[in-house]
Amino acid sequence: MTFSSQTRPVWSAIVGVPLLFALIALLQVRIDAQTRSVAQQKQEMLLRSGTLLRKLSLGYDSLLSDIYWTRAVQYYGARVGTPQANFELLWPMLDLATTLDPKLMAAYRFGAIFLSETGNAGAGRTDLAVQLIKRGIAANPDQWRLGTDLGFLYYWRLQDYPDAAAAYLEASKNPQAPAWVKLMAARVAEKGGSFETSRAIWFQLYDSTSDPNIRRKATEQLRGLRAREDQMQLDELAKQYQKSYRRLPVSTKELLEAGLLNGIPVDPEGFPYVFGPDGKSHLDPASSFVIPPEPSLPAAPK
Amino acid sequence: MSAMPAVVAINTFREAVRDRVLYNLIFFALLMIGASILVGEISVGIERLVIINLGLAAISIFGLIMAVFIGVGLVYKEIEKRTLYSLLAKPIRRGEFLVGKYGGLLLTLVVNTSLMTLGLAVALFYVGRPFLRSDASILIAVYFIVLELALVTALALFFSCFSSPVLSTLFTLGIYLTGMFAADIRDFGDLTRNPVVQGVARLLYYLVPNFHNFNAIAAAAHGETIPLTLVLHNTLYTLLYVTLVLLAASAVFSRRDLK
Repeated sequence: MTFSSQTRPVWSAIVGVPLLFALIALLQVRIDAQTRSVAQQKQEMLLRSGTLLRKLSLGYDSLLSDIYWTRAVQYYGARVGTPQANFELLWPMLDLATTLDPKLMAAYRFGAIFLSETGNAGAGRTDLAVQLIKRGIAANPDQWRLGTDLGFLYYWRLQDYPDAAAAYLEASKNPQAPAWVKLMAARVAEKGGSFETSRAIWFQLYDSTSDPNIRRKATEQLRGLRAREDQMQLDELAKQYQKSYRRLPVSTKELLEAGLLNGIPVDPEGFPYVFGPDGKSHLDPASSFVIPPEPSLPAAPK
Repeated sequence: MSAMPAVVAINTFREAVRDRVLYNLIFFALLMIGASILVGEISVGIERLVIINLGLAAISIFGLIMAVFIGVGLVYKEIEKRTLYSLLAKPIRRGEFLVGKYGGLLLTLVVNTSLMTLGLAVALFYVGRPFLRSDASILIAVYFIVLELALVTALALFFSCFSSPVLSTLFTLGIYLTGMFAADIRDFGDLTRNPVVQGVARLLYYLVPNFHNFNAIAAAAHGETIPLTLVLHNTLYTLLYVTLVLLAASAVFSRRDLK
Protein backbone atom coordinates (compact mmCIF):
# COMPACT_ATOMS: atom_id res chain seq x y z
CA MET A 1 0.00 0.00 0.00
CA THR A 2 1.41 3.43 -0.97
CA PHE A 3 1.57 6.47 1.30
CA SER A 4 -1.11 8.29 -0.65
CA SER A 5 -3.52 5.35 -0.50
CA GLN A 6 -2.97 5.18 3.28
CA THR A 7 -3.64 8.85 3.88
CA ARG A 8 -6.52 9.19 1.39
CA PRO A 9 -9.25 8.09 3.86
CA VAL A 10 -7.93 10.56 6.45
CA TRP A 11 -7.99 13.46 3.98
CA SER A 12 -11.43 12.41 2.76
CA ALA A 13 -12.66 12.51 6.33
CA ILE A 14 -11.07 15.92 7.04
CA VAL A 15 -12.74 17.41 3.98
CA GLY A 16 -15.88 15.29 3.85
CA VAL A 17 -17.07 15.47 7.48
CA PRO A 18 -17.14 19.30 7.75
CA LEU A 19 -18.76 19.43 4.31
CA LEU A 20 -21.48 17.02 5.39
CA PHE A 21 -22.06 18.99 8.59
CA ALA A 22 -22.27 22.20 6.57
CA LEU A 23 -24.92 20.59 4.35
CA ILE A 24 -26.82 19.37 7.42
CA ALA A 25 -26.73 22.89 8.93
CA LEU A 26 -27.97 24.38 5.65
CA LEU A 27 -30.79 21.87 5.55
CA GLN A 28 -31.69 22.65 9.19
CA VAL A 29 -31.97 26.35 8.36
CA ARG A 30 -34.45 25.47 5.59
CA ILE A 31 -36.43 23.17 7.91
CA ASP A 32 -36.51 25.88 10.63
CA ALA A 33 -37.88 28.40 8.14
CA GLN A 34 -40.65 25.98 7.18
CA THR A 35 -41.58 24.95 10.73
CA ARG A 36 -41.27 28.31 12.54
CA SER A 37 -44.99 29.05 12.41
CA VAL A 38 -45.82 25.54 13.65
CA ALA A 39 -43.35 25.89 16.53
CA GLN A 40 -44.89 29.23 17.55
CA GLN A 41 -48.33 27.64 17.53
CA LYS A 42 -47.07 24.73 19.61
CA GLN A 43 -45.51 27.07 22.16
CA GLU A 44 -48.79 28.88 22.65
CA MET A 45 -50.73 25.66 23.02
CA LEU A 46 -48.29 24.01 25.42
CA LEU A 47 -47.89 26.94 27.73
CA ARG A 48 -51.18 27.11 29.56
CA SER A 49 -51.74 24.57 32.35
CA GLY A 50 -49.37 25.07 35.28
CA THR A 51 -51.10 22.47 37.42
CA LEU A 52 -50.74 19.81 34.74
CA LEU A 53 -47.11 20.75 34.11
CA ARG A 54 -46.43 20.49 37.82
CA LYS A 55 -47.81 16.96 37.85
CA LEU A 56 -45.83 15.97 34.80
CA SER A 57 -42.58 17.48 36.06
CA LEU A 58 -41.90 14.37 38.21
CA GLY A 59 -40.64 16.42 41.12
CA TYR A 60 -38.43 18.70 39.06
CA ASP A 61 -41.03 21.49 39.19
CA SER A 62 -38.68 24.09 40.65
CA LEU A 63 -36.16 23.53 37.82
CA LEU A 64 -38.98 23.76 35.27
CA SER A 65 -40.08 26.99 36.94
CA ASP A 66 -36.56 28.43 36.50
CA ILE A 67 -36.74 27.47 32.83
CA TYR A 68 -40.12 29.20 32.36
CA TRP A 69 -38.92 32.29 34.21
CA THR A 70 -35.82 32.41 31.99
CA ARG A 71 -38.08 32.06 28.95
CA ALA A 72 -40.22 34.95 30.25
CA VAL A 73 -37.10 37.10 30.65
CA GLN A 74 -35.98 36.20 27.13
CA TYR A 75 -39.49 36.80 25.75
CA TYR A 76 -39.65 40.23 27.41
CA GLY A 77 -36.08 41.11 26.43
CA ALA A 78 -36.72 40.24 22.78
CA ARG A 79 -39.75 42.57 22.59
CA VAL A 80 -39.02 45.46 24.92
CA GLY A 81 -38.37 48.69 23.04
CA THR A 82 -39.60 47.37 19.70
CA PRO A 83 -42.41 49.25 17.95
CA GLN A 84 -45.88 47.71 18.51
CA ALA A 85 -44.36 45.24 20.98
CA ASN A 86 -46.77 42.45 21.81
CA PHE A 87 -46.35 40.86 25.25
CA GLU A 88 -49.29 38.50 24.92
CA LEU A 89 -47.47 35.43 26.28
CA LEU A 90 -45.78 37.20 29.18
CA TRP A 91 -48.59 36.58 31.66
CA PRO A 92 -49.01 32.85 30.81
CA MET A 93 -45.25 32.38 31.23
CA LEU A 94 -45.21 34.17 34.59
CA ASP A 95 -48.32 32.28 35.63
CA LEU A 96 -46.58 28.98 34.83
CA ALA A 97 -43.31 29.92 36.52
CA THR A 98 -45.07 30.94 39.73
CA THR A 99 -47.46 27.97 39.69
CA LEU A 100 -44.53 25.58 39.32
CA ASP A 101 -42.55 27.31 42.06
CA PRO A 102 -44.73 29.59 44.22
CA LYS A 103 -41.61 30.77 46.05
CA LEU A 104 -39.81 32.13 42.99
CA MET A 105 -39.49 35.73 44.19
CA ALA A 106 -37.72 36.99 41.06
CA ALA A 107 -40.72 36.03 38.92
CA TYR A 108 -43.10 38.02 41.13
CA ARG A 109 -40.93 41.09 41.62
CA PHE A 110 -39.44 41.51 38.14
CA GLY A 111 -42.48 39.99 36.44
CA ALA A 112 -44.74 42.67 37.96
CA ILE A 113 -42.45 45.34 36.51
CA PHE A 114 -42.47 43.70 33.07
CA LEU A 115 -46.28 43.52 33.19
CA SER A 116 -46.91 47.02 34.50
CA GLU A 117 -44.54 48.99 32.26
CA THR A 118 -46.43 50.89 29.59
CA GLY A 119 -45.83 51.64 25.90
CA ASN A 120 -43.19 49.49 24.29
CA ALA A 121 -41.47 48.96 27.67
CA GLY A 122 -43.95 46.38 28.94
CA ALA A 123 -47.34 44.77 28.70
CA GLY A 124 -49.17 47.76 30.26
CA ARG A 125 -51.20 45.36 32.39
CA THR A 126 -50.98 46.73 35.91
CA ASP A 127 -54.10 44.71 36.77
CA LEU A 128 -52.18 41.49 36.07
CA ALA A 129 -49.10 42.81 37.87
CA VAL A 130 -51.26 43.44 40.97
CA GLN A 131 -52.74 39.95 40.61
CA LEU A 132 -49.23 38.44 40.36
CA ILE A 133 -47.96 40.27 43.44
CA LYS A 134 -51.09 39.40 45.44
CA ARG A 135 -50.56 35.76 44.52
CA GLY A 136 -46.94 36.06 45.64
CA ILE A 137 -48.01 37.55 48.97
CA ALA A 138 -50.50 34.72 49.51
CA ALA A 139 -47.80 32.10 48.81
CA ASN A 140 -45.03 33.93 50.70
CA PRO A 141 -46.56 35.82 53.63
CA ASP A 142 -43.11 36.19 55.19
CA GLN A 143 -41.79 38.30 52.27
CA TRP A 144 -42.48 41.95 53.18
CA ARG A 145 -40.87 43.20 49.94
CA LEU A 146 -43.83 41.91 47.94
CA GLY A 147 -46.07 44.14 50.05
CA THR A 148 -43.98 47.19 49.20
CA ASP A 149 -44.03 46.16 45.53
CA LEU A 150 -47.82 46.10 45.71
CA GLY A 151 -47.77 49.52 47.36
CA PHE A 152 -45.54 50.78 44.56
CA LEU A 153 -47.95 49.48 41.88
CA TYR A 154 -50.95 51.10 43.56
CA TYR A 155 -49.09 54.33 44.13
CA TRP A 156 -47.19 54.84 40.90
CA ARG A 157 -49.15 52.94 38.30
CA LEU A 158 -52.72 53.26 39.55
CA GLN A 159 -52.41 56.43 41.65
CA ASP A 160 -54.63 54.67 44.15
CA TYR A 161 -53.15 56.21 47.30
CA PRO A 162 -55.50 54.65 49.92
CA ASP A 163 -54.75 51.11 48.59
CA ALA A 164 -51.04 51.95 48.32
CA ALA A 165 -51.00 53.08 51.97
CA ALA A 166 -52.91 49.93 52.98
CA ALA A 167 -50.37 47.74 51.12
CA TYR A 168 -47.42 49.43 52.83
CA LEU A 169 -49.16 49.18 56.19
CA GLU A 170 -49.83 45.46 55.69
CA ALA A 171 -46.18 44.90 54.70
CA SER A 172 -45.01 46.82 57.79
CA LYS A 173 -46.77 44.28 60.02
CA ASN A 174 -44.12 41.72 59.04
CA PRO A 175 -41.57 41.55 61.88
CA GLN A 176 -38.76 41.46 59.32
CA ALA A 177 -39.90 44.69 57.62
CA PRO A 178 -37.68 47.72 58.25
CA ALA A 179 -39.06 50.83 59.94
CA TRP A 180 -39.31 52.83 56.72
CA VAL A 181 -42.19 50.65 55.46
CA LYS A 182 -44.46 51.91 58.23
CA LEU A 183 -43.29 55.47 57.65
CA MET A 184 -44.05 55.04 53.96
CA ALA A 185 -47.57 53.87 54.78
CA ALA A 186 -48.14 57.02 56.83
CA ARG A 187 -46.56 59.28 54.23
CA VAL A 188 -48.60 57.83 51.33
CA ALA A 189 -51.79 58.13 53.38
CA GLU A 190 -51.01 61.73 54.27
CA LYS A 191 -49.33 63.09 51.15
CA GLY A 192 -50.22 60.75 48.29
CA GLY A 193 -49.12 62.13 44.94
CA SER A 194 -46.52 64.56 46.33
CA PHE A 195 -43.04 64.79 44.87
CA GLU A 196 -41.60 64.01 48.27
CA THR A 197 -43.49 60.72 48.55
CA SER A 198 -42.82 59.71 44.95
CA ARG A 199 -39.12 60.35 45.45
CA ALA A 200 -39.09 58.27 48.64
CA ILE A 201 -40.83 55.38 46.85
CA TRP A 202 -38.43 55.38 43.90
CA PHE A 203 -35.46 55.69 46.21
CA GLN A 204 -36.61 52.65 48.19
CA LEU A 205 -37.10 50.70 44.95
CA TYR A 206 -33.56 51.62 43.90
CA ASP A 207 -32.26 50.56 47.26
CA SER A 208 -34.13 47.25 47.35
CA THR A 209 -32.54 45.73 44.26
CA SER A 210 -29.14 45.09 42.78
CA ASP A 211 -30.54 44.60 39.28
CA PRO A 212 -28.88 47.22 37.03
CA ASN A 213 -31.97 47.65 34.80
CA ILE A 214 -34.29 48.44 37.70
CA ARG A 215 -31.71 50.74 39.26
CA ARG A 216 -31.32 52.58 35.94
CA LYS A 217 -35.09 52.90 35.68
CA ALA A 218 -35.32 54.23 39.26
CA THR A 219 -32.48 56.71 38.59
CA GLU A 220 -34.27 57.94 35.46
CA GLN A 221 -37.49 58.42 37.40
CA LEU A 222 -35.71 60.21 40.26
CA ARG A 223 -34.03 62.57 37.79
CA GLY A 224 -37.36 63.08 36.03
CA LEU A 225 -39.07 63.90 39.33
CA ARG A 226 -36.37 66.45 40.11
CA ALA A 227 -36.82 68.10 36.70
CA ARG A 228 -40.63 68.17 37.08
CA GLU A 229 -40.35 69.68 40.54
CA ASP A 230 -37.86 72.31 39.25
CA GLN A 231 -40.21 73.23 36.42
CA MET A 232 -43.20 73.49 38.71
CA GLN A 233 -41.32 75.84 41.04
CA LEU A 234 -40.03 77.91 38.07
CA ASP A 235 -43.59 78.23 36.76
CA GLU A 236 -44.69 79.56 40.16
CA LEU A 237 -41.79 82.02 40.20
CA ALA A 238 -42.67 83.12 36.67
CA LYS A 239 -46.15 84.04 37.92
CA GLN A 240 -44.62 86.06 40.77
CA TYR A 241 -42.30 87.78 38.29
CA GLN A 242 -45.28 88.65 36.07
CA LYS A 243 -47.05 90.28 39.03
CA SER A 244 -44.03 92.51 39.72
CA TYR A 245 -42.89 93.31 36.16
CA ARG A 246 -46.19 92.94 34.21
CA ARG A 247 -44.57 90.58 31.73
CA LEU A 248 -43.44 86.96 31.65
CA PRO A 249 -39.76 86.13 32.12
CA VAL A 250 -37.82 84.96 29.06
CA SER A 251 -35.01 83.26 30.98
CA THR A 252 -34.08 82.03 34.44
CA LYS A 253 -31.40 84.74 34.46
CA GLU A 254 -34.18 87.35 34.74
CA LEU A 255 -35.58 85.52 37.79
CA LEU A 256 -32.10 85.57 39.31
CA GLU A 257 -31.70 89.30 38.62
CA ALA A 258 -35.12 89.92 40.19
CA GLY A 259 -33.91 88.18 43.36
CA LEU A 260 -36.40 85.33 43.00
CA LEU A 261 -33.63 82.71 42.58
CA ASN A 262 -30.36 82.21 44.40
CA GLY A 263 -28.71 80.55 41.39
CA ILE A 264 -29.47 79.29 37.90
CA PRO A 265 -31.24 75.92 38.18
CA VAL A 266 -30.10 73.27 35.71
CA ASP A 267 -31.66 70.04 34.49
CA PRO A 268 -30.05 66.64 35.30
CA GLU A 269 -27.84 67.05 32.20
CA GLY A 270 -26.56 70.44 33.41
CA PHE A 271 -28.53 72.68 31.00
CA PRO A 272 -30.45 75.71 32.38
CA TYR A 273 -34.23 75.56 31.97
CA VAL A 274 -35.76 77.86 29.38
CA PHE A 275 -39.12 79.68 29.28
CA GLY A 276 -41.64 79.48 26.49
CA PRO A 277 -43.79 82.44 25.33
CA ASP A 278 -46.57 81.16 27.65
CA GLY A 279 -44.30 81.61 30.69
CA LYS A 280 -43.96 77.87 31.23
CA SER A 281 -40.48 76.45 31.84
CA HIS A 282 -39.08 73.75 29.54
CA LEU A 283 -35.92 71.73 29.06
CA ASP A 284 -33.31 73.38 26.87
CA PRO A 285 -33.62 71.88 23.35
CA ALA A 286 -29.86 71.32 23.46
CA SER A 287 -30.25 69.05 26.49
CA SER A 288 -30.37 65.33 25.80
CA PHE A 289 -32.37 64.72 28.97
CA VAL A 290 -35.89 63.40 28.49
CA ILE A 291 -38.38 63.45 31.35
CA PRO A 292 -39.86 59.95 31.71
CA PRO A 293 -43.59 59.94 30.99
CA GLU A 294 -45.94 60.03 33.93
CA PRO A 295 -47.72 56.74 34.51
CA SER A 296 -50.89 56.20 32.58
CA LEU A 297 -53.78 54.14 33.82
CA PRO A 298 -53.74 50.50 32.68
CA ALA A 299 -56.01 48.96 30.11
CA ALA A 300 -59.25 47.59 31.47
CA PRO A 301 -58.94 43.94 32.55
CA LYS A 302 -60.01 41.43 29.94
CA MET B 1 -24.05 -13.38 57.86
CA SER B 2 -20.57 -13.93 56.39
CA ALA B 3 -18.23 -11.33 54.88
CA MET B 4 -19.11 -12.56 51.38
CA PRO B 5 -21.68 -9.82 50.61
CA ALA B 6 -18.99 -7.20 51.31
CA VAL B 7 -16.61 -8.97 48.92
CA VAL B 8 -19.29 -9.08 46.22
CA ALA B 9 -20.13 -5.40 46.88
CA ILE B 10 -16.49 -4.28 46.51
CA ASN B 11 -16.15 -6.27 43.29
CA THR B 12 -19.39 -4.82 41.92
CA PHE B 13 -18.10 -1.32 42.69
CA ARG B 14 -14.75 -2.07 41.01
CA GLU B 15 -16.55 -3.45 37.97
CA ALA B 16 -18.67 -0.31 37.70
CA VAL B 17 -15.56 1.86 37.85
CA ARG B 18 -13.87 -0.37 35.25
CA ASP B 19 -16.94 0.02 33.04
CA ARG B 20 -16.34 3.80 33.12
CA VAL B 21 -19.67 4.42 34.82
CA LEU B 22 -18.24 7.43 36.63
CA TYR B 23 -17.63 9.13 33.28
CA ASN B 24 -21.08 10.70 33.74
CA LEU B 25 -19.31 13.05 36.14
CA ILE B 26 -17.73 14.76 33.15
CA PHE B 27 -21.18 15.58 31.76
CA PHE B 28 -22.24 16.80 35.18
CA ALA B 29 -19.17 19.03 35.44
CA LEU B 30 -19.81 20.46 31.97
CA LEU B 31 -23.46 21.07 32.85
CA MET B 32 -22.53 22.92 36.03
CA ILE B 33 -19.85 25.02 34.32
CA GLY B 34 -22.22 25.86 31.46
CA ALA B 35 -25.05 26.80 33.84
CA SER B 36 -22.78 28.90 36.06
CA ILE B 37 -21.59 30.94 33.12
CA LEU B 38 -24.81 31.13 31.10
CA VAL B 39 -27.58 31.67 33.63
CA GLY B 40 -26.41 35.12 34.67
CA GLU B 41 -26.50 36.12 31.01
CA ILE B 42 -29.93 34.80 30.08
CA SER B 43 -32.02 35.20 33.23
CA VAL B 44 -32.68 37.64 36.05
CA GLY B 45 -32.45 37.09 39.80
CA ILE B 46 -32.19 33.30 39.84
CA GLU B 47 -28.48 32.50 39.39
CA ARG B 48 -28.23 30.79 42.77
CA LEU B 49 -31.61 29.06 42.41
CA VAL B 50 -30.77 27.62 39.01
CA ILE B 51 -27.42 26.25 40.14
CA ILE B 52 -29.07 24.47 43.08
CA ASN B 53 -32.15 23.31 41.13
CA LEU B 54 -30.14 22.16 38.12
CA GLY B 55 -27.42 20.57 40.25
CA LEU B 56 -29.85 18.59 42.40
CA ALA B 57 -32.01 17.62 39.41
CA ALA B 58 -28.92 16.40 37.54
CA ILE B 59 -27.71 14.43 40.57
CA SER B 60 -31.14 12.83 40.77
CA ILE B 61 -31.54 12.12 37.03
CA PHE B 62 -27.99 10.80 36.50
CA GLY B 63 -28.37 8.65 39.62
CA LEU B 64 -31.73 7.29 38.48
CA ILE B 65 -30.38 6.38 35.05
CA MET B 66 -27.46 4.57 36.66
CA ALA B 67 -29.64 2.84 39.26
CA VAL B 68 -32.12 1.56 36.68
CA PHE B 69 -29.83 0.65 33.80
CA ILE B 70 -27.05 -0.90 35.88
CA GLY B 71 -29.46 -2.36 38.44
CA VAL B 72 -31.44 -4.35 35.88
CA GLY B 73 -28.27 -5.95 34.55
CA LEU B 74 -26.70 -6.86 37.88
CA VAL B 75 -27.99 -10.43 38.03
CA TYR B 76 -28.73 -10.91 34.34
CA LYS B 77 -25.13 -10.13 33.34
CA GLU B 78 -23.74 -12.68 35.81
CA ILE B 79 -26.06 -15.35 34.39
CA GLU B 80 -25.30 -14.40 30.76
CA LYS B 81 -21.54 -14.45 31.32
CA ARG B 82 -21.92 -17.62 33.38
CA THR B 83 -19.81 -16.08 36.16
CA LEU B 84 -22.68 -16.64 38.58
CA TYR B 85 -22.13 -20.43 38.54
CA SER B 86 -18.53 -20.20 39.70
CA LEU B 87 -19.57 -17.65 42.31
CA LEU B 88 -22.37 -19.77 43.70
CA ALA B 89 -20.02 -22.74 43.87
CA LYS B 90 -18.29 -20.83 46.67
CA PRO B 91 -19.74 -20.72 50.21
CA ILE B 92 -22.17 -17.91 49.47
CA ARG B 93 -25.94 -18.02 49.61
CA ARG B 94 -28.00 -16.53 46.81
CA GLY B 95 -29.47 -13.97 49.18
CA GLU B 96 -26.00 -12.89 50.25
CA PHE B 97 -24.98 -12.58 46.62
CA LEU B 98 -27.96 -10.27 45.99
CA VAL B 99 -27.22 -8.15 49.06
CA GLY B 100 -23.58 -7.87 47.89
CA LYS B 101 -24.64 -6.82 44.39
CA TYR B 102 -27.07 -4.30 45.84
CA GLY B 103 -24.45 -2.91 48.21
CA GLY B 104 -21.92 -2.59 45.38
CA LEU B 105 -24.23 -0.57 43.17
CA LEU B 106 -25.36 1.53 46.11
CA LEU B 107 -21.71 2.26 46.92
CA THR B 108 -21.14 3.30 43.30
CA LEU B 109 -24.16 5.60 43.46
CA VAL B 110 -23.08 7.11 46.78
CA VAL B 111 -19.56 7.82 45.45
CA ASN B 112 -21.03 9.28 42.25
CA THR B 113 -23.53 11.42 44.18
CA SER B 114 -20.85 12.64 46.61
CA LEU B 115 -18.59 13.75 43.76
CA MET B 116 -21.48 15.52 42.03
CA THR B 117 -22.38 17.27 45.30
CA LEU B 118 -18.80 18.48 45.49
CA GLY B 119 -19.17 19.78 41.92
CA LEU B 120 -22.37 21.58 42.92
CA ALA B 121 -20.57 23.21 45.86
CA VAL B 122 -17.78 24.39 43.52
CA ALA B 123 -20.36 25.82 41.08
CA LEU B 124 -22.10 27.69 43.92
CA PHE B 125 -18.77 29.05 45.07
CA TYR B 126 -18.00 30.13 41.48
CA VAL B 127 -21.20 32.19 41.17
CA GLY B 128 -20.00 34.11 44.19
CA ARG B 129 -22.41 32.78 46.70
CA PRO B 130 -21.15 32.41 50.27
CA PHE B 131 -22.07 29.18 52.02
CA LEU B 132 -24.86 29.71 54.50
CA ARG B 133 -26.27 27.78 57.44
CA SER B 134 -29.41 27.09 55.39
CA ASP B 135 -27.27 25.14 52.89
CA ALA B 136 -27.67 22.16 55.21
CA SER B 137 -31.00 21.67 53.42
CA ILE B 138 -29.06 21.08 50.16
CA LEU B 139 -27.19 18.24 51.84
CA ILE B 140 -30.48 16.84 53.16
CA ALA B 141 -31.94 17.04 49.63
CA VAL B 142 -28.89 15.09 48.37
CA TYR B 143 -29.43 12.55 51.15
CA PHE B 144 -33.08 12.16 50.06
CA ILE B 145 -31.87 11.55 46.49
CA VAL B 146 -29.58 8.79 47.80
CA LEU B 147 -32.56 7.24 49.63
CA GLU B 148 -34.59 7.42 46.42
CA LEU B 149 -31.77 5.75 44.48
CA ALA B 150 -31.48 3.05 47.15
CA LEU B 151 -35.14 2.23 46.65
CA VAL B 152 -34.94 2.30 42.83
CA THR B 153 -31.84 0.07 42.88
CA ALA B 154 -33.64 -2.48 45.08
CA LEU B 155 -36.60 -2.52 42.69
CA ALA B 156 -34.36 -2.88 39.62
CA LEU B 157 -32.50 -5.73 41.30
CA PHE B 158 -35.77 -7.41 42.25
CA PHE B 159 -37.06 -7.38 38.68
CA SER B 160 -33.70 -8.48 37.30
CA CYS B 161 -34.01 -11.68 39.36
CA PHE B 162 -36.76 -13.05 37.13
CA SER B 163 -36.92 -10.92 34.03
CA SER B 164 -34.87 -9.69 31.07
CA PRO B 165 -33.13 -6.28 31.32
CA VAL B 166 -35.60 -4.64 28.91
CA LEU B 167 -38.64 -5.81 30.85
CA SER B 168 -36.96 -5.07 34.19
CA THR B 169 -36.31 -1.51 33.01
CA LEU B 170 -39.94 -1.10 32.02
CA PHE B 171 -41.17 -2.56 35.32
CA THR B 172 -38.83 -0.40 37.40
CA LEU B 173 -39.70 2.80 35.52
CA GLY B 174 -43.39 1.85 35.74
CA ILE B 175 -43.20 1.47 39.51
CA TYR B 176 -41.18 4.69 39.74
CA LEU B 177 -43.79 6.66 37.79
CA THR B 178 -46.64 5.07 39.76
CA GLY B 179 -44.80 6.04 42.94
CA MET B 180 -44.42 9.62 41.74
CA PHE B 181 -48.15 9.86 41.07
CA ALA B 182 -49.20 7.86 44.16
CA ALA B 183 -50.81 10.85 45.85
CA ASP B 184 -52.76 11.66 42.66
CA ILE B 185 -54.01 8.08 42.43
CA ARG B 186 -55.30 8.36 46.01
CA ASP B 187 -56.89 11.75 45.28
CA PHE B 188 -58.56 10.48 42.08
CA GLY B 189 -59.97 7.60 44.10
CA ASP B 190 -61.38 10.05 46.64
CA LEU B 191 -62.99 12.06 43.83
CA THR B 192 -65.03 9.06 42.65
CA ARG B 193 -67.00 8.85 45.96
CA ASN B 194 -67.15 5.10 45.34
CA PRO B 195 -65.98 3.28 48.52
CA VAL B 196 -64.53 0.33 46.54
CA VAL B 197 -62.51 2.53 44.17
CA GLN B 198 -61.46 4.71 47.08
CA GLY B 199 -60.30 1.64 49.00
CA VAL B 200 -58.34 0.26 46.02
CA ALA B 201 -56.75 3.66 45.35
CA ARG B 202 -55.77 4.02 49.01
CA LEU B 203 -54.37 0.49 49.09
CA LEU B 204 -52.31 1.25 45.99
CA TYR B 205 -51.13 4.48 47.60
CA TYR B 206 -49.72 2.59 50.59
CA LEU B 207 -48.38 -0.32 48.52
CA VAL B 208 -46.29 1.48 45.93
CA PRO B 209 -43.14 3.28 47.04
CA ASN B 210 -44.08 6.95 47.38
CA PHE B 211 -41.15 8.59 45.63
CA HIS B 212 -42.61 12.04 46.16
CA ASN B 213 -41.51 11.74 49.82
CA PHE B 214 -37.95 12.27 48.69
CA ASN B 215 -38.48 15.48 46.75
CA ALA B 216 -36.80 18.29 48.65
CA ILE B 217 -35.17 20.08 45.71
CA ALA B 218 -37.41 23.17 45.80
CA ALA B 219 -37.13 23.45 49.58
CA ALA B 220 -33.34 23.23 49.36
CA ALA B 221 -33.18 25.82 46.59
CA HIS B 222 -35.13 28.30 48.71
CA GLY B 223 -33.07 27.55 51.82
CA GLU B 224 -36.06 26.24 53.74
CA THR B 225 -35.54 24.16 56.84
CA ILE B 226 -36.29 20.48 56.32
CA PRO B 227 -37.54 18.97 59.59
CA LEU B 228 -35.29 16.30 61.08
CA THR B 229 -38.35 14.15 61.77
CA LEU B 230 -38.92 13.99 58.00
CA VAL B 231 -35.30 12.88 57.55
CA LEU B 232 -35.83 10.17 60.14
CA HIS B 233 -39.16 9.05 58.67
CA ASN B 234 -37.81 8.91 55.12
CA THR B 235 -34.78 6.93 56.30
CA LEU B 236 -36.97 4.40 58.10
CA TYR B 237 -39.38 4.23 55.16
CA THR B 238 -36.50 3.46 52.79
CA LEU B 239 -34.93 0.92 55.14
CA LEU B 240 -38.22 -0.94 55.54
CA TYR B 241 -39.09 -0.84 51.85
CA VAL B 242 -35.59 -1.89 50.71
CA THR B 243 -35.59 -4.75 53.23
CA LEU B 244 -38.97 -5.88 51.93
CA VAL B 245 -37.91 -5.72 48.28
CA LEU B 246 -34.57 -7.45 48.90
CA LEU B 247 -36.29 -10.22 50.85
CA ALA B 248 -38.71 -10.67 47.95
CA ALA B 249 -35.80 -10.64 45.48
CA SER B 250 -33.93 -13.19 47.57
CA ALA B 251 -37.01 -15.44 47.75
CA VAL B 252 -37.51 -15.29 43.98
CA PHE B 253 -33.82 -15.74 43.17
CA SER B 254 -33.41 -18.65 45.62
CA ARG B 255 -36.18 -20.53 43.85
CA ARG B 256 -34.97 -19.71 40.37
CA ASP B 257 -33.71 -22.64 38.31
CA LEU B 258 -30.38 -21.49 36.91
CA LYS B 259 -29.72 -24.53 34.74
